[in-house]
Amino acid sequence: MFRSARSIVVATWVWSLCIALLQASAVANAANAKPADGDDGQWSMPAKDYAATRYSGLAQITRANAHGLRPVWTFSTGVLGGHEGQPLVVNNTMYVVTPWPNVLYAFDLTKEGYPLRWKYRPATSPNAIGAACCDSINRGAFYADGKLFYNLLDGHTVAIDARTGHELWNTQVADVGSGETTTMAPLVVRDRVIVGAAGGEFGIYGWLKALDAASGKVIWTARNIGPDAEMLIHPDTFRPPYGEGTDQGATSWENSAWKTGGAPVWGWLSYDADLDLVYYGTGNPSPYNSEQRVGDNKWSNSVLARRPGDGALIWAYQFTPHDNWDYDSTGAMVLVDVKVNGRPVKALVHFDKNGFQYVLDRATGKLINATAYVQLNWAKSVDLATGRPVLDPARQTGATKGNVKDICPSLEGGVSPASPPAYSPRLSLFFTSTNNFCMNYEASRSTYLKGTPYIGANIPYTAGPGGHLGALMAWDASAAKKVWEIDEPLPSWSGVLATAGDVVFYGTLDGWFKSVDATTGKVLSKFKVGSGVVGNPMTFKGPDGKQYVAVYAGIGGDWSLLAGDLHSDDPADVRAPMDMVKQMARHSSQGGIVWIFGL
Amino acid sequence: MDIRAVIAVNTADGVISRAIRVASIVSCVLLVACSKHETKQSDAATDRPPAIRYEAHIAAGGKPPVGGELVNPLRGDPAAARNGAALFSAMNCDGCHGGDGSGWVGPSLADGRWRYGGADEEIFTSIYYGRPKGMPAFGGAIGAAAIWNLVTYLKSLPPPADVPTESWEE
Repeated sequence: MFRSARSIVVATWVWSLCIALLQASAVANAANAKPADGDDGQWSMPAKDYAATRYSGLAQITRANAHGLRPVWTFSTGVLGGHEGQPLVVNNTMYVVTPWPNVLYAFDLTKEGYPLRWKYRPATSPNAIGAACCDSINRGAFYADGKLFYNLLDGHTVAIDARTGHELWNTQVADVGSGETTTMAPLVVRDRVIVGAAGGEFGIYGWLKALDAASGKVIWTARNIGPDAEMLIHPDTFRPPYGEGTDQGATSWENSAWKTGGAPVWGWLSYDADLDLVYYGTGNPSPYNSEQRVGDNKWSNSVLARRPGDGALIWAYQFTPHDNWDYDSTGAMVLVDVKVNGRPVKALVHFDKNGFQYVLDRATGKLINATAYVQLNWAKSVDLATGRPVLDPARQTGATKGNVKDICPSLEGGVSPASPPAYSPRLSLFFTSTNNFCMNYEASRSTYLKGTPYIGANIPYTAGPGGHLGALMAWDASAAKKVWEIDEPLPSWSGVLATAGDVVFYGTLDGWFKSVDATTGKVLSKFKVGSGVVGNPMTFKGPDGKQYVAVYAGIGGDWSLLAGDLHSDDPADVRAPMDMVKQMARHSSQGGIVWIFGL
Repeated sequence: MDIRAVIAVNTADGVISRAIRVASIVSCVLLVACSKHETKQSDAATDRPPAIRYEAHIAAGGKPPVGGELVNPLRGDPAAARNGAALFSAMNCDGCHGGDGSGWVGPSLADGRWRYGGADEEIFTSIYYGRPKGMPAFGGAIGAAAIWNLVTYLKSLPPPADVPTESWEE
């Protein structure tokens, strides 16, 4: 499974470099890596910390002892949708949000067998299932000040009393009838609960909203596309790193196509307290046929930096202008300090669906570096002076261009935004799932009909070279290069956990949960968890003082649709397997299982 | 009837050229088709909703409830099937059910198996009124006549062999 001895040599070389940089970066990252409550024994927000590192300082599980990891507890959620997201652990209670119908479970970790303290069953509308593009998934809850905040698939945000399980408020934020669903995990900054909606396949008018944490009242709504007034762009505070001009979110779409232009928010948010900026990525412009929306289509496929207080947009950077490959930019924006050309940079690091890994200055949005982290061919490079990709003219798509073949990566992304990376400040390394396939893209004219898909493309996939469809990769953002890689036979759809024990954790679509030596990529332990993993591992300290690692098993999201034959629960729906992944259903079926591992 | 008018009235957000083009072809066919075939409960000319019973349901006491019979006025009509195929794409059915109805986020419509019954009138009711788990009600947007075309298209798909076994053994 390993990439050859050469990787190890590279790893050793990088490891030496890492040690040299270790001192400085560890200090620099300490502030970012700290969770809201400053306690590595707990996990109170989706990505562990505001910087979105998914790194825990717990170090009982090490490279030396991880081979002894074993399951210590398991629980069936009773739900079969894709179990994305991650559990939270706060005050010796583990909180688990299921896919639709979005049950919230609270497990008492102080009692044998971890019995439920309570469960909360919202009246989530089943209509939302059909408006969700890619399975009825949920990406988790956020804990703050004794409350749990999370989204129901049908466009509601709820606040739940963490002690009693009682609903404190329930606010409708999105309209399922317009194709909006809410799959993302909220980010809470001070008294603001920040949420967005999915719907890039339904021609929504994408937005971000801030709700008052005490009352649930919507305080501001900022559009991701459209005129400045609706995007909360003020001329005196908006400083985009490239290209001045008013109403760019409207003028970069011919025929006012922004009105049904998508730019959803279904990924991960991060926050820098010093700059007081919330960062989030926007998804694809609608429809997939780009000829119905001529122009750059700002600010779809972009990272936006907003003030949480009033929502004002401070800067925005577009990764993929005029997207004609469905390269959403909703993946995590990881806020860490990295050295580039020997110079320390307060950076935002992002692995985009389009196959480039970006380093931006997180204060200004200026592009510092962009490097291909997987095989790609839609662009040759990214011009650091203009911030724009240098395109391959032969791989531009549109209804008049017919079937454009062999575009890499596929629209599933070099990595799926659903699979967030981790960053170890000890090693100055990122760890991320990757995918290895390409696509043929045949666009056609699409009709906007409210509440129905607005796509206009037929896009079969082909396997990339190398005989593997996915991988887990260690990446050095300073050197802009891969350090090691573990090839996977199937696409890799898991988030990653990094720990101070220099052990990283991830799961696979064929149902393995693995611990890996963060320095070499050697697998230290693996266990078959009953269903493919599309969730994100997390770690916590139990009431017994021991370190545990938790993860969901429950294949879903795109692959539960693409594979064709993973479902066994509907006798009225029988499909042939997708040629590329005929083995997937051999090793996994749907499931919904919470696992805890320990030594 | 003129489906163009129905679409113009019923979709406030506007349906753009392709749908209307397709619909105008469909309406020509339907003007002929509907004049020949009277439906007992559904009136395609006024888009009055049907009141029917579901033959596939279990009847308590073995006694089916009183309900009308709904008849596909275009049953087996190849032109209607072709129009239905165009509508299947133009009305974004393929966005959920996949190209050729092979299944995506919505169930396969080409496997010969049906959640809510596969008789013409049952498929009609599914499209016209929608179903739980997110199947939108299309009756308001495109009306009964266009939906009969869709039904005729789906019923024209070649029935596959029902293969309940999938094997990975060599």
